[in-house]
Amino acid sequence: MSNLIIKTTNLTKTYGKTNVVDHLNLTMKQGDIYGFLGPNGAGKTTTIRMLLGLIKPSKGNIEILGKNLVKHKLEILRNTGSLVEYPSYYGHLTATQNLEAIRLILNVSKSRIDEVLSIVGLTKEANRPVKGFSLGMKQRLGIAASLLGQPKLLILDEPTNGLDPMGIHEIRELIKELPKKYGITILISSHLLSEVEQMANVVGIISKGKMVFQNTLEELKKQSISEMKFVVSESEDALWLARDLGFVGTLQNNVLSFSHMQDDQVARLVTHLVEHRHQIYRVEQARQSLEDIFMDLVGKENL
Amino acid sequence: MLLRSLRADFLKISRKGIWLLVIGAPLGVVLMMALNWGLRYNYLTHQNQGHLWQSLLGDIGALVPISLYLGCTLVSSLVSNVEHQTSAWKQLLALPISRKRVFLSKFLLCTLLLLLSCFTLSIGSLILGLLLDFGTAVPVGQVAILGLFPYLSALPLLALQLWLSIVYQNQAIPVTLGISVSFISLGASRLPEWFILNWPSLSLNSEYKLPFIIAGIITALIVLFISRQHFNRKDIA
Repeated sequence: MSNLIIKTTNLTKTYGKTNVVDHLNLTMKQGDIYGFLGPNGAGKTTTIRMLLGLIKPSKGNIEILGKNLVKHKLEILRNTGSLVEYPSYYGHLTATQNLEAIRLILNVSKSRIDEVLSIVGLTKEANRPVKGFSLGMKQRLGIAASLLGQPKLLILDEPTNGLDPMGIHEIRELIKELPKKYGITILISSHLLSEVEQMANVVGIISKGKMVFQNTLEELKKQSISEMKFVVSESEDALWLARDLGFVGTLQNNVLSFSHMQDDQVARLVTHLVEHRHQIYRVEQARQSLEDIFMDLVGKENL
Repeated sequence: MLLRSLRADFLKISRKGIWLLVIGAPLGVVLMMALNWGLRYNYLTHQNQGHLWQSLLGDIGALVPISLYLGCTLVSSLVSNVEHQTSAWKQLLALPISRKRVFLSKFLLCTLLLLLSCFTLSIGSLILGLLLDFGTAVPVGQVAILGLFPYLSALPLLALQLWLSIVYQNQAIPVTLGISVSFISLGASRLPEWFILNWPSLSLNSEYKLPFIIAGIITALIVLFISRQHFNRKDIA
């Protein structure tokens, strides 16, 4: 058995004539926090629902924990905790009763309820009806429910959606702890890269149902194009001097920009400019932000 | 597994007013009869001298089919709505339990709740008869029949209502249908015996009661089987 926790092969879901999820090959290794990214409507939730067996794929194959989802559905679900979009709860019941309703089906010991409530920090609110909870508390209860069965895999669909910055922070800290403390592999979806970037080590970016990037976060950062910016005394002249050396740059607001410049090339240009008695005020590197890369990958037309 | 799922289902319906409906509705029927017989006690006891128990049970029995139909409609809608309300289906069905079990558990929950209603009705009728001083020669068999037979022959509608209530998030659809069916059943007595809505009243009043009960149970099982298959394949939004 390989150490792949999730492996989908050409996973496709068709509604009408559109492929909402289009030949998706998602792979996830043990111990990963996999950030599953894409704009709204890209097919994230549909994919996650297929991973949980809530909807049937039109085409393709899903393997979770090394087993085929169709054949071993219950066994896989026994080892998977999930939180799909906005929280599900029974408002008239207390937090403890909500978890009890799930515990009965999972058939785990009663003490797990107190354990998961303390993991998500809801011990004090355990006996209050959930309808009086804030969204952040409901979301934490949802995470508590997903942890009840001591899962090996946790699938969280937009767990911070609709939360205020404080709530987002709380959930994020909670999620970051889980792999370290309990050895859980996590798939977390979001439409915000900035949110996932602080938790995930691997990211998969989906756009219009297709996977447009799947690799480590570092690899994504490497894709960022760095630009060298120069501020000098006589910009126009300097632009021509640079061209003599074979560097084609642009001039905007008295700032010269060159893309893809190696260190030695920067040094050569600086020497060249100094030799021609230019005064150099500033040389700086400007990196494309991750958010920009994300935008490039999913395409501007999605916005 | 089924038992644990059923326990979870019972937990989920607490504090929802479902118990109040299940116990209160049959008591309401008994109370109506208490008013009818209490207010016109002398007249009615004089009219029905010699068959007091039979008359009382007959009067109550006339209200049983429509009450049962309304009960089937409300109970299945309330039970399903517990899951619809906060889209808890997606959480429930991502748990390691087969959908068939989930569906069967909901059906059993409804049948048990309705059975409790019918039991309450029988006991209530019994107490009313004793309070009205109809004597201790209680026709126990008839009291039991009142609670059990119409219930069994109304099961097909319960299965249908539960299916619709679970499939449609908008409960207006199954509830409208259920209420319409309840009122149609009032005027259906002129229709032939195979007309399914007549079975509960025929199981009470016909000379041959058993065929209607057996037909009810078999039809309910068929509806249950079809709806369970459908639910098993359905995409959960």
